[in-house]
Amino acid sequence: MSEQENTPNRHLDEITLLLYVERQLDRESAQEVSLHTQTCTSCMTLLRALDRESRLLTRSMLEEDEPLPARIAEFRARVKKSMQWIWGVVFGLAALGVYALYTGYIEPAEQQLEQAGFGGTNLLSLLLFQGAFWKGWQSMFTLVEFVALASVAGFGAFLFRRYLKRASALAVMFASLGLLAAFATPASAMEFRKADSVQIKKDEVIKGDLYATGENVRLDGTVDGDVYIAGKQVVISGHVTGEVFCACQSLRIDGQVQGSVRNASNNLTITGTVGRSVTSFSETTAVDSSGKVGHSVTAFSKSLTVDGSVGGDVLAFASAETSIAGSIQGEIRVHGDSLNIGSNASIGGKASFEGNNPADVASGAKLAYPLTFKKIEHARNERGGGYYVWRVIWASAFILFGLVLLWVLPQFSKEATANVESVGASFGLGVLVGFALPIAAVLTCVTVVGLFVGISAFFLWFASLYFSQIVVGAAVGSWILGRTNETWPLVGRMAIGMLILRACMAVPFIGGWIKIAAILWGIGAISLAAYRRLQPVMAPNIPPPPTAHVGTPLPPNTTVSGV
Amino acid sequence: MSAPGKTEPTDLIVRARAGDSQAWGDLYREFAPAIFRFCRRAMPTQEDAEDATMEIFMKLREKLVQYDPGRSFTAWLYRVAANHCWDMLRRRKARHDKDTQDIDDLPLEAPEPNQLEKLIEERTSEEVRKALDKLGARARMALVMRYYSDMSYDEIADALGVRRPFVGVVLLRARHELREALGENSALAVGGTR
Repeated sequence: MSEQENTPNRHLDEITLLLYVERQLDRESAQEVSLHTQTCTSCMTLLRALDRESRLLTRSMLEEDEPLPARIAEFRARVKKSMQWIWGVVFGLAALGVYALYTGYIEPAEQQLEQAGFGGTNLLSLLLFQGAFWKGWQSMFTLVEFVALASVAGFGAFLFRRYLKRASALAVMFASLGLLAAFATPASAMEFRKADSVQIKKDEVIKGDLYATGENVRLDGTVDGDVYIAGKQVVISGHVTGEVFCACQSLRIDGQVQGSVRNASNNLTITGTVGRSVTSFSETTAVDSSGKVGHSVTAFSKSLTVDGSVGGDVLAFASAETSIAGSIQGEIRVHGDSLNIGSNASIGGKASFEGNNPADVASGAKLAYPLTFKKIEHARNERGGGYYVWRVIWASAFILFGLVLLWVLPQFSKEATANVESVGASFGLGVLVGFALPIAAVLTCVTVVGLFVGISAFFLWFASLYFSQIVVGAAVGSWILGRTNETWPLVGRMAIGMLILRACMAVPFIGGWIKIAAILWGIGAISLAAYRRLQPVMAPNIPPPPTAHVGTPLPPNTTVSGV
Repeated sequence: MSAPGKTEPTDLIVRARAGDSQAWGDLYREFAPAIFRFCRRAMPTQEDAEDATMEIFMKLREKLVQYDPGRSFTAWLYRVAANHCWDMLRRRKARHDKDTQDIDDLPLEAPEPNQLEKLIEERTSEEVRKALDKLGARARMALVMRYYSDMSYDEIADALGVRRPFVGVVLLRARHELREALGENSALAVGGTR
């Protein structure tokens, strides 16, 4: 109760009267209000008005009995529920897609390139597929396969959920996984060595991969598999039939490695033989005069010295100093501060150098092609005025395209824009549709009958790459200026959102990722809108309206007796 | 808040909790209309209301085990719905809803009783419904919880995350907003002269 109530000549405040109407006052306060309103006409009138307002509110909320939308009546909970498990399917399919893409296209292409003599010459190929992380990729695929299998098992359990109790569904899933695991290729043998000083003696032979950690690791024996080493001083003077992965302070290869060497260390010195390629992230990388590398050398080093022989190319990045005095069958590409080519050097392929100073080439050096030099230009502003003009033109074109779309398909555009709010569902669906649709289109084109459908689907997908950005732009604009259901205000929001989005896409490094995210997100939102459009407008067998007790809740206790 | 004369669908709830899909479907068909109407009033658009309804029932499927059969199912259901809708609105509010932040700071002036009575007398239910759409999220939510689903002050306080004594103030402010929307030129919009 406010102080006003205790003063007979003053009116009760509105909140007190409201609480009285709402029956929220204690008995004593309620009696005071009751007594006051019996003598104060103004308060009595206000009390009555508040009571009527309550009744009006209740009536206005309860009396409209709008029909239940079809999608609600259709028990769409089941479908929406599916949107939860669809994540598993999405990632499972994505994993399968990546795996299929690799095994179906990339791996054969790699093999063909290698057979054609191009293996290891491509930087992208080197880094991604034959580079430092290649073995990691292979391990990744095991995980990817597992995720794919788990998704399939989960999907199966979902399909049969009606016949299975939850626990048994889980059991089936795990049993399936176990069964699949049983048929999987067993992992090869592994040898783990961990000590301050690890030594594989000269006459020792390890069948399978070797994992060794220690301050000093010395491999004098034979490893019939891959070698993984983390240590301080590492010396390989024995024989490794597989590949060597090493993270250490100093790695010295005096022996023979039949596979490749992937190394991250302070120093790498090769005096022995490496059958395939060398990838080195080191301060200094040196192939001594007795050292031999069968394929290419890729070095991200401050200093690179090649005095021995290299069967393939030499690629050096960010090297302060590169010195070549040995024999290189392939080409050299060096990016760094300086390049010295000694008199004993011979280079079979092209030689190019991009640096601050011209290369120092000794007179006796044998170069199959003349060395090309390109001075590094420290451009302060790579993006001239023309770049920004084109950016503005593109942004304007997008806005114009969006304007047309919102004009031609106003309702669909609004629905798609609203779907952007469902971040998870839109993005997940976007990943699925964004990648699956073009693949499906290509597959459909293979059959003559499906040629038209395939081409149409491909064009649809291509258009959606642009439409998706407009949808996301409209959503961004709506977040800033507030939501709207009207077309022209939405156009304004789309224009502002598009400008912001295009500006974000122009940011170096992350702009591309923003673009991809926006496209996937938008494609998902469009797909969701299309999916909902495909649902029947009116549902058959709409349940009868609920009884008054359920559909129309109990009216509030707002009646004030005696008022 | 339980509906008098309405028998709580105890059997359906028990069966639905046990994983009976048929019972779950029946429960949905019985309560979905009421929950949709609740959402339609609480949420700004029809699409939002449809989405919210389905999400509430998805959530319900997981939460059904938490329901105490000794209490009213309808009341519990509305509480779940209110919490969900308010969560959605609050998330959105952070981005683009001006809502009641600035309104909360305005002093509430008591209306002139006769003018208020006249305004209430003249307005139809339909006009009130249209005016409700113009309110901020919290004001609309509070009014819907109180006058559609008849939730108690404690339940409203819980759903809106405010202290219980503040619920009356929230409702009063909501009414002021509503009056402002109902009669923009009226003196009631800014309070009267008592």
